[in-house]
Amino acid sequence: MTALLAIEGLAVSYGRISALRGVSLQVDSGEIVAIVGPNGAGKSTLLSCIAGLVRPAAGVIRFRGDAIAGQPLERTVRRGIALVPEGRHVFAGLTVLENLRLGATIRTDRARVASEIDAYMDLFPILADRRHAPAGTLSGGEQQMLVIARGLLSNPALLMLDEPSLGLAPRITDQVYDLIESVRARGVTVLLVEQNADRALRSADRTYVLNTGAVRLSGASGDLRGRPDFEAAYFGLDLVGGQA
Amino acid sequence: MNAAIQIAVDAMSLGGLYALTALGIGLIFSVMRLANFAHAELVTCAAYALFALSGQPLVMAFSGAIVVAVALAVVTERIAFRPLRRADPTTMMIASFTVSMLIQKLLVFTLGSRPKSLDPVPMLSQAVSIGPTQVSLLKLVTIAVCAVLLLALTLFLKRTSFGLQMRAAAENFTMAQLTGVRANAVIVVAFALSGGLAAVVALLFAAQSGFVQPRLGVPLMITAFVATVIGGMGSLPGAVIGGLLVGVVTTLLQAYLPPDLRPFREAFLFALVILALLVRPNGLFPARGLKERI
Amino acid sequence: MMRDLILRAAPLLALVALIVAISLLAGMADTVTTRRVILCLVNVVCVVGLYIFMGNSGVLNFSSVGFMAIGAYVAALLTMPAGPKGMFLPDLPVWLAATELPALAGPFLGALFCAIVALAVGLPIMRLSGIAAAIATFSLMFICYIVLGNWTSMTGGQISLMGLKSYVGLWTACAFAVGAVAVAFAYQETRWALALRASREDAVAARASGIRVARLRLGAFVLGAAVCGAGGALYGHFQGTLRVESFYLDPTFLLVTMLVVGGMRSLTGAVVGCLAISLLTEVLRLVEVGIPLPGTGAVVMVAPGFGDVVLAALMLLILLFRPNGITGGREILGNLAGSGHRHDQV
Repeated sequence: MTALLAIEGLAVSYGRISALRGVSLQVDSGEIVAIVGPNGAGKSTLLSCIAGLVRPAAGVIRFRGDAIAGQPLERTVRRGIALVPEGRHVFAGLTVLENLRLGATIRTDRARVASEIDAYMDLFPILADRRHAPAGTLSGGEQQMLVIARGLLSNPALLMLDEPSLGLAPRITDQVYDLIESVRARGVTVLLVEQNADRALRSADRTYVLNTGAVRLSGASGDLRGRPDFEAAYFGLDLVGGQA
Repeated sequence: MNAAIQIAVDAMSLGGLYALTALGIGLIFSVMRLANFAHAELVTCAAYALFALSGQPLVMAFSGAIVVAVALAVVTERIAFRPLRRADPTTMMIASFTVSMLIQKLLVFTLGSRPKSLDPVPMLSQAVSIGPTQVSLLKLVTIAVCAVLLLALTLFLKRTSFGLQMRAAAENFTMAQLTGVRANAVIVVAFALSGGLAAVVALLFAAQSGFVQPRLGVPLMITAFVATVIGGMGSLPGAVIGGLLVGVVTTLLQAYLPPDLRPFREAFLFALVILALLVRPNGLFPARGLKERI
Repeated sequence: MMRDLILRAAPLLALVALIVAISLLAGMADTVTTRRVILCLVNVVCVVGLYIFMGNSGVLNFSSVGFMAIGAYVAALLTMPAGPKGMFLPDLPVWLAATELPALAGPFLGALFCAIVALAVGLPIMRLSGIAAAIATFSLMFICYIVLGNWTSMTGGQISLMGLKSYVGLWTACAFAVGAVAVAFAYQETRWALALRASREDAVAARASGIRVARLRLGAFVLGAAVCGAGGALYGHFQGTLRVESFYLDPTFLLVTMLVVGGMRSLTGAVVGCLAISLLTEVLRLVEVGIPLPGTGAVVMVAPGFGDVVLAALMLLILLFRPNGITGGREILGNLAGSGHRHDQV
């Protein structure tokens, strides 16, 4: 079977600074794949690149077999890729309901959308209570739920989440990951980026460790957790040995 | 009492014109952070269209004005502003100056700089009585038209799916694109709406002034631009309130300044503008999510 | 040591050489052309004045024409002969009516007066950034225009003020243009200007590292206003007459456009933008008059008014194809001094 998302030899640089070098990875349909690594490893750049926010200097990104790098931003979601960016970008001035409706911008099946919005409201009663309040007045955890729901309303094949647990209390983090796993159960493939490696490894099927712009280690999450070289790869200790 | 009604009508009709112009400028600014000085020429060219079609039925003439202003707005976006979308906002602003200059000079070159008289809606040039006071019908109609348009635009933005997309784009353009909002569509519609507003302003303004010349729209645009900044650049309610406010203050200064200070009326207005900015640099209603980029 | 200094000053020397060369050429040309070049050199003074603030701070400034107007009227009032002064301005205060200073004091006193005004109004306004600053400075220009245009006892109001001593010739203009460039260059080499440019790139970071942005901006604003004031005085004494209308929207946009077209982030950009647009204007004016094509007997000629259209179109094209201006914000010979530590190119 062909991969849903396949990346080969991806390189990105900002001016003289190289953010990603020779990154290759693959995400198959129905998987949860995590990319972990420390701050500045290039994780967000990778997602930005797939979403079309950043143009790669080299390499190929294929989604369902089509090369997608460097395409207009608004086409990303139409292909079936939804990005939930870092920092919970709700439209703070729009209401909760309007934020959810925006998630379905590309859809025409209005009745289905309305019932899906109702379903999310049932799932997160707080969103129902505050449906006409500006989204900016929600708490961090509530905003994260809203942004994920907004992403899902586009009916994506691939949901990408950037640091979904950043700044959230552990209990809320668990809720977020419960949601992610239930999303996968409905057939949506998930690619997520985390600094919180422990949490990500527990939910992901496979994990890539990214550091200083390159993939250092990859494998089934369960195997990686036990491996002695995991921490070294995560913290970049292997680089001290002169390997580059 | 008499004078108070008169002043209120003057203030609201002037403020309404400023508000509509400010909205046209604010719409563009909110979605692409462009302070479009060429908005003046949308008004001017629409007024020339009215002049060219004078004698035709009002519906015809006004439709012509709308077509001209909308087409001009969309064409300037395509030719001048789209290539600069990622440029420095200063550069975009200066580009809009040069577009404004270019159209003005073209008008001077092709039609001459002498004012041409027109009276697009003669039936409005009479007075009506409110109690004992005689008030210009044109001014009352101006107020009514402004109110209706503001309502219509609000409904469009609040109740339609495209309006929602425009508001999302105004708050965070990139995020809006990631939810599937089409950048070009939003921007072109913003320009078209701003052209439509300019055509209405041209009709009302030309009916008041009775003539058209190549710089007709410039003073209007400058005052309206100031109004959008006072109201809060990028905030549409701010633009409307800023426009009304400037209209009211101008009328009051005109009415109540001592006669020997009256020529300095606009100096007072602009001094108040500076004062307002010092107190609230982001305007009275700062737009959400607006990062200072200019 | 000496070599370092020369390398560091290379952009200044190059710009001065350019200005002097143009003046030398103009000295050999006919009177009309010479007058055009004088006007262009006066504009160089003003655009450089605008650059001192706008280029280093990155904040839009529409007030420079207002300061030109102030400088022009101050210089005129202080140096006009008593005869015409009494005729045009019968209501002047007695002391001012009696004052007749040497002509060359005009630009300097105009500059000084502008500096004082700029200090007073800049003190509050320099806290503003971005579009608020643009509108505030625009309002300043407007206030200058309205006040000067209606303060009939001091300025003659809407009537032209005539009989100014016209002493501004080619070499006076050249000397002032060189002086303005030298002042701007000396300023941009100071640590204040460096800090101000740092704030231009990232105001928050600059504030966090202890840079007092408002104060630095004020310094540049005052210096720039003074240079514009001198430019305005020269303009008045070049024309011989003063009209408030000459200090309104058109020149405001023209000066800003010259700077942006040249590249607002470098002094070279200011000078080059001014020269380029002046040259374009002149060529188009000639074409309107008609240029005979040598050897063919044909004459290239366009209808009057068409030159203005082409000028505006060309300015737009330059912006479209070079959004950072002709120079892209770089100084001429600016890379000689090595590391490029002075002019932070982006």
